[in-house]
Amino acid sequence: MLLLLALLAALATGAWAQGKDASGKRLEAIRSEMDRGQGLYLAGNYAGAAEVFESGYAAYPYSAFLFNAGVCYQKQNDVDRALAKFNEYVKVDPNAPDLDKVKQRIAALEAAKATAQAAAAAAAAAVVDAGAGADAGVDAGAPPPPALVLPSGDDQNSMKSLVVIETEPDGAPLRIYQRLDPNAHFTLGAAANPGWQEVVATRAPANLTLDVGQYHVVVEKFRDFNASEADMAVSPGHVHQLKANLSQGKFMAFLRVTSNVIGAHIWIDDKKKEHPLWGDTPHGELVPGGKHDVLVEAPGFEPFLSSVDFEHGEQKELEVRMVRVNYGVLRIDSAAPELKIRLDEQPKGTWRSGQEPLDVQFESGNHKLTIESEGRKTFEGAIVVPRGQILPIHAKMIPKYPRGPAWTQAIIGAAFLGGAIYAGVESNHSYNELQTDRRNGSLDGSDSRATRGKWFAIGADAGFVVAGVLGGLATYNFIKDPLPESSVSQGKLLEFEDPLQARPVAWRAPRKGLQQDVAAAESGLGLQFTPSASSTGGGLFFGGKF
Amino acid sequence: MRACSLQLSLLGGLAFFASACSWSRFDDITKNSPVVLLEKPGSMNGGFGVSLSTASHEGQTELLVGGTVNVSGAALYEIGQEGAPGTTAIDTDYCSGHGSICSLSSLTAGFANASGPDRTRPLCFAVGSGAVTTKQGLVMRCQDFTEYTLSMPQVAQDQLAASIAQDQPRDFPMATDRSDDPVLLASLPEKHLAWFYPAKSTEFSELLVPSGVDVADPSFGQSLAVLNVEGGRVLALGVPGKSRVLLWKTDGSAASSYIGCLAGASGMGRALAGGAFRIDTGDDLVVSDDSHVQWIEGTTLFALPETSSSECVLSGTIPGALIDWFDCGSTQNVAECEKSEFGAALAVGDLDGNGDNEVIVGAPKMTVNGKESAGALLVYDVNTLGVTLVDTKFISSAEAGDELGRSIVTPHVGKRDIIAAGAPGHGKAALFYCSSLPSSYADSARCR
Repeated sequence: MLLLLALLAALATGAWAQGKDASGKRLEAIRSEMDRGQGLYLAGNYAGAAEVFESGYAAYPYSAFLFNAGVCYQKQNDVDRALAKFNEYVKVDPNAPDLDKVKQRIAALEAAKATAQAAAAAAAAAVVDAGAGADAGVDAGAPPPPALVLPSGDDQNSMKSLVVIETEPDGAPLRIYQRLDPNAHFTLGAAANPGWQEVVATRAPANLTLDVGQYHVVVEKFRDFNASEADMAVSPGHVHQLKANLSQGKFMAFLRVTSNVIGAHIWIDDKKKEHPLWGDTPHGELVPGGKHDVLVEAPGFEPFLSSVDFEHGEQKELEVRMVRVNYGVLRIDSAAPELKIRLDEQPKGTWRSGQEPLDVQFESGNHKLTIESEGRKTFEGAIVVPRGQILPIHAKMIPKYPRGPAWTQAIIGAAFLGGAIYAGVESNHSYNELQTDRRNGSLDGSDSRATRGKWFAIGADAGFVVAGVLGGLATYNFIKDPLPESSVSQGKLLEFEDPLQARPVAWRAPRKGLQQDVAAAESGLGLQFTPSASSTGGGLFFGGKF
Repeated sequence: MRACSLQLSLLGGLAFFASACSWSRFDDITKNSPVVLLEKPGSMNGGFGVSLSTASHEGQTELLVGGTVNVSGAALYEIGQEGAPGTTAIDTDYCSGHGSICSLSSLTAGFANASGPDRTRPLCFAVGSGAVTTKQGLVMRCQDFTEYTLSMPQVAQDQLAASIAQDQPRDFPMATDRSDDPVLLASLPEKHLAWFYPAKSTEFSELLVPSGVDVADPSFGQSLAVLNVEGGRVLALGVPGKSRVLLWKTDGSAASSYIGCLAGASGMGRALAGGAFRIDTGDDLVVSDDSHVQWIEGTTLFALPETSSSECVLSGTIPGALIDWFDCGSTQNVAECEKSEFGAALAVGDLDGNGDNEVIVGAPKMTVNGKESAGALLVYDVNTLGVTLVDTKFISSAEAGDELGRSIVTPHVGKRDIIAAGAPGHGKAALFYCSSLPSSYADSARCR
C-alpha cells in the first residue's frame, strides 16, 4: 500500500513538474516574441515588428499582440490593417481596461480615413473639371489628392504589455488601479484614492493588456483569505506575471536569470547542487522574498555565484556574464595505429586505434603540440587550446619515407671510403719508403712497391670517387622526402559535454518555504493554478515580470 | 637537384684530379732511379751476376755480367755515359758455348785494349777457358765479336785439354788492372798455378812460388789483383784457405819476382782489389779476410825485394805497408754484420769523381730491411784521416737470398765511377749511380 502511495506520489510529482516546465517555456516564448517585436518597433522597423506581433498572436492569442500589430500598421499609415487589428482587439478582448481608448483610436482612424476618402473624391472631381476646362482652353490647375492624416502620438511607450494575474487559489476578485498622479499614494481599504483610476475589475486568473504605467493590484477578500495588494510597473512590450498566494499573505518575489550562455544551469539556494537545478537560462520564476544564493553553471564556463536579496513582491532580473574557464580540451584521434601526445614537451598520453579520441585537458592559449607515431613523421606545431571548449584534432600521420637505399648507399660508401683510406695510407706508405730509398740511392726503377703503390693510389682514388658518389647519393636520399609532413586538421569547436543534459525536470528550490510555495504553484498546468492544501486565512500574490 | 648534381660533379672532378696526381708520383719517383737493374738475357739460364768485369775505352764503358761458373755464359752491357745505361745485353755470346768451347771463369777480366793475334782491339774480356777454332787457352772476346785464345803454361794447357776432353770444366780465375794496357793475371787453383800476360802481350809468364810456401789449398788463386804502380805491377794472389796472399812484382816485362807473402786473420785474401786512393800515386792493395779489410800501400809492396822466403808476414810488420784496416758496419737498413760475409767481394772506385777512390765491400749475407741475405754494399771513404763508412747500398726491391755484393766492379762513367754489383741469389745485377758522398753528381737526375 505504501509502495502504491509512493508510486502515485512520484507520478503526481512528475506530472506537476512537466506542467510547470511547459508553462514556464510558454511564458518564455511569449516574452521572446514580445521582446523581439518591441525591439523592431524601437528600431523603426514597423513592418518587421508587425510581422512578429502577428505571428506571436497566431501562436499565443493574447490581445496585446493584436494591439501592438495595429500600432505598427498605423505607423506605416496602413489604416485598413491597423483598423482591422484594433477592431479584432476590441472583439477578442471586450473587457480590456483600455477598451474605450482603443475604440476612440478606431474612431479617429476611421474619421481620418473618411476624410481622406472624401478629399480623394473631391480631388478626382477636380481632375475631371480640370480636364473639361482644359478642353475649353481654360487653364484650371487640378489640386493634388489630400494626404491621409492619421492620429499621431505613438511613441516607444505605445506598445501594450501582457499582464497575467493569477491567484492561489483561483477565482479571487481583483481590481487594478492605474496611477494618474505620479505622487499619489494608494491606501488599501480607503474610500477613495485620489490620483488613481480603477481600470480593471475581474477575477483571477486574468490575462490583461495594459498600457505602460504604474498600477496597483488589489486582491480583495476572498473566502477566508484576506485582501492583498501590490504595485506593478508595466513597461512597453513586455509580459508581466502576477501571482498571489492567498494562503501566505505575502508577495512572492520574481527572479529572472539571463546569461550570455543560453541553457546555463541555475541552482537556487543549493550551492552543493544536491537537488535538481532550478532552471536553464534564460529562466524566471517566483521566489519567496528574502536573500537567495544563485549558482549558475555551464560546461566550459566558470561557475557564477551571487546572492540576491528580494523584497516581497520585488521583481529582479539577474544578468549573468559567464566567463569561460581558462583551460580547454584537445580531442585527438588519427588513422594511425598509435599516437603519443606531448604538449609543451610534457607527455599527455597515448591514443590507440579503436579507442575513443584522447581528450587532453590543458591550459588555454598557445602551446606546442607534438604527436609521435612509430614509423611516421612526427608532427610538431603550434596549437591554440581554446577556453572552455573542445577542439577536435585529427592527426594525419604520414609514414616516414623509407631510408633503406640511403643507408645502403651510406654503408657501401663508407666501406669504399674505408677501403680508399686504407689504400691511400698504403700508397703513401709505399711512396714514403720509395722516397727514402731514393734519397739514400737504393731505389731501383723496377721496385715492385712502385707498382703496388700506384695500384693502391688508383684504388684509393677510385674508392674516394665511388665513396663520394655514394655519399652524395646517400645524402640526397637522406634529404629527399617526397611525402608531405604530418599534419593535423582542426574540427569545429565543441562545447563541453553537459552531464545534466538528461537532467530531471527541476523542482522548486530546496528552501522549505519556497518548496511549499512551488508545490502549491506547480500543481496546475500553464498559467493555471490549482488550490493548494493550505487553507490559511490570508492570500498572497506571486508576480513575475518578463 | 641541380645544386646536388653540381656538387657531385665537382666532387668527382676533384677526386679524379687528385687521383691523377697521386698515382703519377710513382712514375715520377721511379723515373731515373738511382739504381738500375740489368735485364737478364733469356739465354742465360744458369745464374746471373756471379761475376762482373768492366772495361772502358774512349768514353765507352762496358760491363760483362757472368753467370754460373763453368755452366753459363756472360752478357755484355753498354753502360754508356751518365744516366742512360743500356739495361739490355748487347752481346750474350760471351762464353756461351755457341760456336766455340768455353767455360766461364769465376773471375773475368776486362781490357780497355787487348792485344790479339793480329792486332790490338778495344774493349775485350777474358771470360774463361776453352777453344776458339782449334786453339785452346784462355778465351778472349771483344766488342767486335772477335774471339781468340791466349796460350797458358803447359800444365794449364794440359789440364784444359783434359777438361775439354772429359767435359769437366776447370775454373781459371783472372784479373787485370784498370790501365789502358792492362796486365792479365790468371790462375789454375787446381794445380796451384799462376801466370800473367804482360801489357800488350799475348804471351804468358808463369809466376813461381818459392818452395816451402804452403799453397796447397783449393782456394789458391780464387782471388787475384793487379796493382798498377809506378815502375811496374804488383801481382797479388789470394789463398784464403791458408789465410795468405802471395805477391809478385813485374817491371812491365815478362819477368817477375816473388816479393813475399802476407798473412792475416782467417780467410785472409778472400777478396783482393787494387786502386789508387790518392791522386798521383799508384794503386794500393785492398785485402779482405773473414771479418776485416786491409788497405795496404802498393808502392811499398812494389818496393819489397825479391825473396825466396817461405814465411808469410802480417802486413803491419812491413814498414809503411798497412795504411789502415776496417771492418763491417751496420746502418738502419743494413744489419747483421757478423754473418754477412763482409768482404766477399771488393772493388775500388772513384764514386764522387774527386780523384780519390773509395772502397766498396760486398756483404752478400747482410740483412736488408729485414730480408735475410739480401746483401748490401758498404762504401768506405779512404783518405789520410782514415777509413770511414760513408754509405750502404742495397736494392730497394731486395729479396731475401739475393746476396747482393757477391761480385762488385766500378765501371767508369763520365768522370767518375759507379758501382755495379751482382746478386746471384736471384740472378740480379744492379748499377748504383748515387752515393751519399758530396759531389757534383748529387744533383744529377738520378741522384736528386
